[in-house]
Amino acid sequence: MRAAFVIAAKDLRQRARDRSAWLLGFVAPVAIAGLISFAFGGTETFHTDVAVVDQDHGVLAQAFTGFLNSPELAAVLTVSPVADPADARARVDRGDFGAAIVIPAGFSAAAHGGPVHPLTVVTTVDSQLAGQVTRSVAGSFTAQLDADRLAVATAIAAGAPPDGLAARAAALRLPEQVVRTPSGTRTITGVGYYGPAMGMFFTFFAIGFTARGYFLEQRDGTLDRIAVAPVGPLAVLAGKSLATFAYSAASLGTVSLITSLVFGADWGPPAAVAVLVAAVALSVVCLTAFVIAVSRTERQADELSAILAFGLVLLGGNFVFLGAAPEFLRVLALGTPNGWALRAFTDLAGGAGGTAVVVPVLAILAFCAVLTTIAGLLHRRAVRR
Amino acid sequence: MTQQAPPEARTTTAGVLAVAGLRKRFGDRVAVDDVSFAVAAGETYGLLGPNGAGKTTTIRLVCGLLRADAGHVEVSGTSVSPVSTAGRGLIGYVPQDVALYPDLTARENLAFFGRLYRLRGRLLKTRVDEVLELVGLADRAKEKVESFSGGMRRRLNIGAGLLHRPTLLVLDEPTVGVDPQSRHAIMESVRRFGADGMAVLYTTHDMTEAERLCDRVGIIDRGRLVAEGTRRELVARLGERDRITLAATGDLAAFAALCQDLPGIDGADVTGSEVHLIGHDGRKLLPALLGAAERAGAVVRSAEVTEPDLEAVFLHLTGTALRD
Repeated sequence: MRAAFVIAAKDLRQRARDRSAWLLGFVAPVAIAGLISFAFGGTETFHTDVAVVDQDHGVLAQAFTGFLNSPELAAVLTVSPVADPADARARVDRGDFGAAIVIPAGFSAAAHGGPVHPLTVVTTVDSQLAGQVTRSVAGSFTAQLDADRLAVATAIAAGAPPDGLAARAAALRLPEQVVRTPSGTRTITGVGYYGPAMGMFFTFFAIGFTARGYFLEQRDGTLDRIAVAPVGPLAVLAGKSLATFAYSAASLGTVSLITSLVFGADWGPPAAVAVLVAAVALSVVCLTAFVIAVSRTERQADELSAILAFGLVLLGGNFVFLGAAPEFLRVLALGTPNGWALRAFTDLAGGAGGTAVVVPVLAILAFCAVLTTIAGLLHRRAVRR
Repeated sequence: MTQQAPPEARTTTAGVLAVAGLRKRFGDRVAVDDVSFAVAAGETYGLLGPNGAGKTTTIRLVCGLLRADAGHVEVSGTSVSPVSTAGRGLIGYVPQDVALYPDLTARENLAFFGRLYRLRGRLLKTRVDEVLELVGLADRAKEKVESFSGGMRRRLNIGAGLLHRPTLLVLDEPTVGVDPQSRHAIMESVRRFGADGMAVLYTTHDMTEAERLCDRVGIIDRGRLVAEGTRRELVARLGERDRITLAATGDLAAFAALCQDLPGIDGADVTGSEVHLIGHDGRKLLPALLGAAERAGAVVRSAEVTEPDLEAVFLHLTGTALRD
């Protein structure tokens, strides 16, 4: 075991002198997480300006405008009246407003059996999120209105006296509402998601470093020189694994620390984060062993490492927020160690307790066991040859 | 540098390396076929053969880097194999290529390999200093190996095999691609190791090196050890004779005819202004040859005696030149 530490210390010393190791392991993930933090800054407190063109001036139009100006929506919308629909469209195009709502003439009369005059929501491709939110707000008002009308009509058809029905119907609200809450209690920020995502992405570069280093040592004869020394047959493997583990854990740990201290990211309970970081580092070790077992040359190792690293981060959701991804992508992510880790990091950042990492860590360990078994079988076959 | 006795005058004592019936096959190709030899303490044993003869495979089997299909390797009575660390601490291995870390300094390289041989603390530092001094790199100890010349790297490469003071030093063609000055330094070092009582196993395809350095030589070809012994023994076994070339003026045909009749001369031939003779112990024949020249009315201007060498022995045993 002592020889393994000697080999690990040597590997780490070499890596410490390699500028690219510093750049990829520490500088790049922090820098990119920081950039993303700035780019996504404030998305958790979404707000937009909305123009309202009231061509109806009826009771319902006033009720709708009152709804838009209600305290519940004040944090999301700032409503400004605009006289002309063309002017409203032009100002949306210019970016003065995120979206505009046109209340057509006859909108109130339609509720009393007149012809239908639907609300129009003016949006632009430059403010898609604002458009979606505005459409959603307008839709919820009209859905409530339709529900009230249906309730009154049903009551009258059943023989209820019409007196007081309007007031009662006005007090009604849609009986079912979907409320989406994260598993925790906090909002996940951009850096809260992309900090661990980018940290893991760059940690995967350690696979290439180590595998390439192994084949370089094999080519240069230093592995033979170590093998002639009185060290156990697993000393080289253990030494290189230790070095890779230490480098990966240090890289991800540093990203965690710096994004917390500098960018205000909240990664969650430190102990749980440490367990996850260790699990990710272990998966890097196992992926490296797999690459070395499968490859025959330095070039093959390089190529396979790159394919694995990019494949895993694409599937695992390190580049795309998985919550907004299609279902099949979310399922695919669970076939990757980083997908599981990212899920756990997100839960922790969202305020979940430390136990949230148990299942992801077990899944990562299972992934490692499978990889190690394959690497071991391939290695034994190579030795027999 | 201490003066050394000629290789053949050196004495050998206890056996250090014993190789018996070693065999290794790679697929259909037999790389090493029933190779047996022994190296005693203080002895330098040369494995001489062309590229691809099986020298490096033999070395790798001796060092426990390969598993033998058959046969046995022992160093000081301890079995050596890839599955056991026993015996490996007795071996100092110097691979053919420079097996060092270019991004580490000379001292860091030596310290790393020293630690693998369980050297620690003050002892490690002392040994590293000794080796740096021995290979002439004490003043470059803190420089990275990548800044060293080829010769300096070679010397450090040898030094890394000496840190733990091995009983058996195994050098696999350590002078390949080395400038003459470094080559000389390496060969002097190897001589010194033998004189210090270390058993040295040295592979080369350079006949001159083998002749200058090795107490005994094993000639290996196509995986088989075809002959072994001291240089003199190998040459004597073949019954090789000296070649004597005399540059002379006068009646060279008469001179050659007189030479032909001298005892110990087996053949004579005239080419231009030279008389070529074949005989036993050419140096002792020179006075008689000069007398024959006088009788024939010829004047000898120069004489050259060429003793049979390992190249000739190798050619005789294998039917191919050493550098083929």
